[in-house]
Amino acid sequence: MTSYQIISVGDQALAIEFANRIDPVVNRHLQQIGRYILKQHLSAVKTIIPAYRTLTVTFDGGQTSFEELKDQLEPLIEKSMNAPLPPSKTWLIPVCYGGKYGPDLEDVARFAGLSTAEVIKEHTAQSYLIYFLGFLPGFAYMGSVDQKIAMPRLEQPRLEIPAGSVGIAGEQTGFYPVASPGGWRIIGQTPLKLYDEKNPASFYHAGDSVKFFAVDEEEFQKIQLADRLGKYQVKAVTSDADD
Amino acid sequence: MPMINVIEPGLQTTVQDLGRPMHQINGFPASGAMDQTALQVANLLVGNSPYAAALEFSLTGPTLRFMATTFIALTGAEFNAQLNGQPVKGYRCLQVHTGDILKIGPAIRGRIGYLAVAGGLHLPLVLDSRSTTLRLKLGGMDGRALVSGDRLPIEAKPTLVSYYHRHAPMPELPDLKTPVKISVLKGPQWEKFDEKDHERFLSGTYTVTNQSDRMGYRLKGDAMQTKQESMLSAATVMGGLQVPANGEPIVLMADRQTTGGYPLLAVVATADLSKLVQCRPKQQIKFELIELNAAQELLKQQQQNLKELRHRIKMARYQMPYGITREASQRIQRLFKE
Repeated sequence: MTSYQIISVGDQALAIEFANRIDPVVNRHLQQIGRYILKQHLSAVKTIIPAYRTLTVTFDGGQTSFEELKDQLEPLIEKSMNAPLPPSKTWLIPVCYGGKYGPDLEDVARFAGLSTAEVIKEHTAQSYLIYFLGFLPGFAYMGSVDQKIAMPRLEQPRLEIPAGSVGIAGEQTGFYPVASPGGWRIIGQTPLKLYDEKNPASFYHAGDSVKFFAVDEEEFQKIQLADRLGKYQVKAVTSDADD
Repeated sequence: MPMINVIEPGLQTTVQDLGRPMHQINGFPASGAMDQTALQVANLLVGNSPYAAALEFSLTGPTLRFMATTFIALTGAEFNAQLNGQPVKGYRCLQVHTGDILKIGPAIRGRIGYLAVAGGLHLPLVLDSRSTTLRLKLGGMDGRALVSGDRLPIEAKPTLVSYYHRHAPMPELPDLKTPVKISVLKGPQWEKFDEKDHERFLSGTYTVTNQSDRMGYRLKGDAMQTKQESMLSAATVMGGLQVPANGEPIVLMADRQTTGGYPLLAVVATADLSKLVQCRPKQQIKFELIELNAAQELLKQQQQNLKELRHRIKMARYQMPYGITREASQRIQRLFKE
């Protein structure tokens, strides 16, 4: 059984904290607990915000108190941790690696002592769990990349990283849904529009997984065009929990 | 559809409601009114649901022309507002007619004001809210602050029950001459700071800087010195005091990022959030540590006050005078002018 503690975060939030590390199994439990809490429709609970190892629950302090809610949540947490993990969804995301799309690919290759083709192979070899969405709408914190290519962030963040850029920051990998300053090592770009002001909700969620696949520039442009016209269907596979 | 025409937009006027906290799970800032109490009172005064959208403005309010008869209420900071050139008070329901011009002007005390209109602003919901998040060009008026010439859809409202009784006491606003006292709770990373830092924080005086906006208020003052090891990102909360590498706290506000990797030294008690939000640049602040149950009591008291106001307005429909509106006095005024 995974151990946790419940701490208060001000007078209208609490955090369910697990061991201080990035662990996909712990995180998937945490996502499950979050969904389970939401499903109870407790009137005092406003929202849940998962992160790597914390699940923050905000509540209406006029309706309940930290102690009261803590007592109410504990049995729910136990119950949902004992339940088997649900099947997970893996999104297949096209990426054009290197060149103008991935200005840091060669640096990462040098860091890893690999060829750029080998870095791409490493990055596309496995699926990554979306631990949580944060920082920007649809910014997915994913991990973990293979140690070999786990290059730390840039010392000096870039002022603007184009939307769709795919990067590495240590063991984390992720994509920028909107153009933003940032310090991640950019190794490629996805042609998909990940954030649309007119339709801002993202199609992927915390607890899903992402697997990247390499496309060349021609395919990149083809997919981009189809996606803008609403004719590209992002592929997803559902797999049984294997961990 | 009846409209409000924007003549002057003010410094930064946005449409806000109670925000979209439910979408923080997908990385969207909660957004919504900075001073949620002031927004709720404004909506109450004009008979709106707590979820109605209103205008929020910082330091200088807009000048607006109403293209319908309706009711409005101005809350939050204190302004020398004028309706057709006549001074009008905040924290009171006012009737406006087609062609009336409301000039809100600069705040005399406090920082952030609200203008609620009966029936709310009829803008589309984006992710369950009409709140504007400027950084993401999301919600409100096309995701941006108001500009001259904007037209805000409203509804006409010829009458409103208990009109005469729709007023509320103005809360205390911070004064630049005296440091304001803000109650805080120990944050989740309080213990990651040593005792010297705790003392520094609780005995020091902090000043709100110009680098303060809807995302956060950056404070200047005694910097925390405990060296922090890197932390795994966790959710942020409104009023969280985040300590970045330079040691000077930033108070996280409505448009804060949903998660952050800096330690939270303390969290402002919800009951004192309005007071803090209303602090303008150069305002001095002193923090006072209180216990969780004390904060919960203060919060319950605050919610109780709102409930009582709602009840008082509801019951006022049975009190004299029943039907007086400003219309009568305006007609008399016009007659005098003629």
